[in-house]
Amino acid sequence: MKKMLLCLGSLWALLALAAWFLPARAVDDAERRPLAQHPKTSLQTVLDGSFQSGFEDYAQDQFPLRQTFRQLKAVFHTYVLNQKDNNGIYMADGFAVAQEYPLKEASLEHALSRLEYLHKKYLQDSRVVMAVIPDKNYYLAPESGQLSLDYDALFEKCRLPWAENLDLTGTLTAEDFYRTDTHWRQERLFPAANAICQALGVTGPDPADYTVEALARPFYGVYYGQAALPMEPDTMYLLRSDLLSQCTVYDYESGQLLPIYNERKLTAKDLYEVYLSGPRSLLTITNPGAATDRELILFRDSFASAITPLLLTDYRTVTLVDIRYIQTDMLSRFLDFHGQNVLILYSALVLNNSTTMK
Amino acid sequence: MVFSSIPFLYYFLPAVMLVYFAAPGKLKNGVLLLFSLLFYGWSEPRLLALMVATILLFYLCGLAIGKTRRRSFLVLGTVLGVGLLAVFKYADFFIGSVNAATGLSLPMLRLALPVGISFYTFQCLSYIVDVYRGSVPPQKNLVSFGAYVALFPQLIAGPIVRYAHVARELESRCHTWEDAAQGARRFLVGLGKKVLLADNFALLIRLFRESGEKSVLFYWMYAAAFTLNIYFDFSGYSDMAIGLGRIFGFHFEENFNYPYLSRSVTEFWRRWHMSLGSWFRDYVYIPLGGNRVSRPRWFLNILTVWLLTGLWHGAAWNFVLWGLLFAALLLLEKALPGIQKLPRWLCHGYVLLVIAMSFVLFNADSLSQASSDYRALFGFGGLPVVTKVTLYYLRSYAVLFLLGILGATPLPRRIGARIAASRAGTVLTGLFLAAVLLVCTAYMVDGSFSPFLYFRF
Repeated sequence: MKKMLLCLGSLWALLALAAWFLPARAVDDAERRPLAQHPKTSLQTVLDGSFQSGFEDYAQDQFPLRQTFRQLKAVFHTYVLNQKDNNGIYMADGFAVAQEYPLKEASLEHALSRLEYLHKKYLQDSRVVMAVIPDKNYYLAPESGQLSLDYDALFEKCRLPWAENLDLTGTLTAEDFYRTDTHWRQERLFPAANAICQALGVTGPDPADYTVEALARPFYGVYYGQAALPMEPDTMYLLRSDLLSQCTVYDYESGQLLPIYNERKLTAKDLYEVYLSGPRSLLTITNPGAATDRELILFRDSFASAITPLLLTDYRTVTLVDIRYIQTDMLSRFLDFHGQNVLILYSALVLNNSTTMK
Repeated sequence: MVFSSIPFLYYFLPAVMLVYFAAPGKLKNGVLLLFSLLFYGWSEPRLLALMVATILLFYLCGLAIGKTRRRSFLVLGTVLGVGLLAVFKYADFFIGSVNAATGLSLPMLRLALPVGISFYTFQCLSYIVDVYRGSVPPQKNLVSFGAYVALFPQLIAGPIVRYAHVARELESRCHTWEDAAQGARRFLVGLGKKVLLADNFALLIRLFRESGEKSVLFYWMYAAAFTLNIYFDFSGYSDMAIGLGRIFGFHFEENFNYPYLSRSVTEFWRRWHMSLGSWFRDYVYIPLGGNRVSRPRWFLNILTVWLLTGLWHGAAWNFVLWGLLFAALLLLEKALPGIQKLPRWLCHGYVLLVIAMSFVLFNADSLSQASSDYRALFGFGGLPVVTKVTLYYLRSYAVLFLLGILGATPLPRRIGARIAASRAGTVLTGLFLAAVLLVCTAYMVDGSFSPFLYFRF
């Protein structure tokens, strides 16, 4: 009994000592978030309770072997308690998937009202194509018995009377998404890109024109950290072509010209930022090798970053607008709307969580 | 600060143990008092003065009663103690009820409810009554008395430790490896109950409340989940309190004895929150005359005790009704002694159904919510019998329900005892407890924080 207590006590004391004396870390790479730091100590912060709550966050965030413990919890939760999801993430066929449920009517209404506003203000003279990108949940939830939002209702509500509504569900499968991330895989998007180009009346991409380049660095997607379950990282691929190598990207925020694939982002926390430099409010891609002088304005979220390079064949310019990062009323200060083709391309995930759409 | 948190388990507890075991014997109570006040002040820094005032009040009352044997000091202490409880816990309930009944709009006090006030007030009341009765001598050492009232293992969620039970250990107690090992084992079992079972049931209850696709079956799952949640939450806390007490050399009385095995509601209350039941028996029911009075008076005594039991749990009408429901059930069982002669399975089924239904009332935010919950449970809520969502959660929580049901029986203890008695028993027990510690830590690190249900009492 004494030996047992000593062993148990040593384990506990070791963890306590590490918690007390290991230096604090600034960021958790797996969870992609800053970690809580030691709170300021003063009589005021103690009396108002902010020191205590800050310390509780600090102690939890800075606990030694944090990721190992998160993995232990995920494994116990999933394989011992047989819970179907862990923190809203579930595993199906080797994919980590966010359980997107239920359909949030208010969010959808908000998103549609923003799109309606865009149409009234800027897009009256444009040919508009609207496409909703189904997420992995759409393909994996039914067969794995998971909860998912009512996609049929979402697609139906997203049919815009003033746009050509494109159904992308048949052009994709679960395999077209990363196993550890929310996004789709660029090298598998030719069917979706061709469907979009066909709807826009332009030439689609020919796979023969592209070479596929695997990135050396493994891709640990956003769900890798959230699921905290043992998973192999993804491999990310870039599609290269002569046409793409001539293109330049103007970033309105920084006033800089950027490449289609920003190799500075190869060391970023989120490797997906390689595509069009990650989250940007306003970008214009200039394509000197375009077959026509047509222009495209693309209202988008992050999914568009990977597919846009495949839509460029006929377009002299493609302007990408992310209204999560720019007020719609400010667009006229930067862009001249004069009947360009317009593509509205949003993932179901963003439409169902659209509070950031301005 | 809750026991099932990283700050408690890896910061507070190592610090208190280090200082406590390094301190010489006569300073140990002082160490416990200081750390207990720190523990209390962590959650309630502005109400620390109330705790200190309570300690001083009952300490002086105890001395005065011991010296003079005058009833007036007992009355004074009781009135002040109950008065503080009434002001902090019941004033707004009373004002709200008066406003609702009369149409007045008396202003609410909106005072913060001091954590654990019901527990430590009851401990103090039992102390002065016991001193008045001459069952225990008054505690002359303020530090020892303060350590008794504020003792952090049981300060905020019980069990209600009577002074008489720990008076000798407050003066002098042994610290043995055996006690420490048993205490650690008990603490970890309680931690596992709380973190792995109660908190996961709490998650299901939250998902149920948030769900927009409820069904009759989902309501029954909710009732079952809350029944198990409150048991593992509260008995887990009691296990941790008893375990910690034992590490520090105290032997607290048991608070739970497998209540869901009961074959009658009467038996249930002998097994559930035993320290509260025995407190009301010894300090309210028997002084009122118990059952050695006329039949109407006996009825009144039972109603009074259960009305107070309900109110003790919370200042709301659903708690009042909850208490009175048990008064009615206990009277019914006394009137129909044949109930206990029914087949065992029927008796168990009756108790479990009644208890689960009572907890639906207990956990409702209002009487109207309780009414709506009952309608839905019995198919009058206009809900489908089952939905896809319900089946998802049923599949997802099936193992947890199974573990919860088995965990509410003596089976795990018997298995544990058999393993401990085997040749490799110590090693296996140690490995099991280490695994519990690590997995519970993993849950705490992952942020599944959930306060103890009984903190609000």
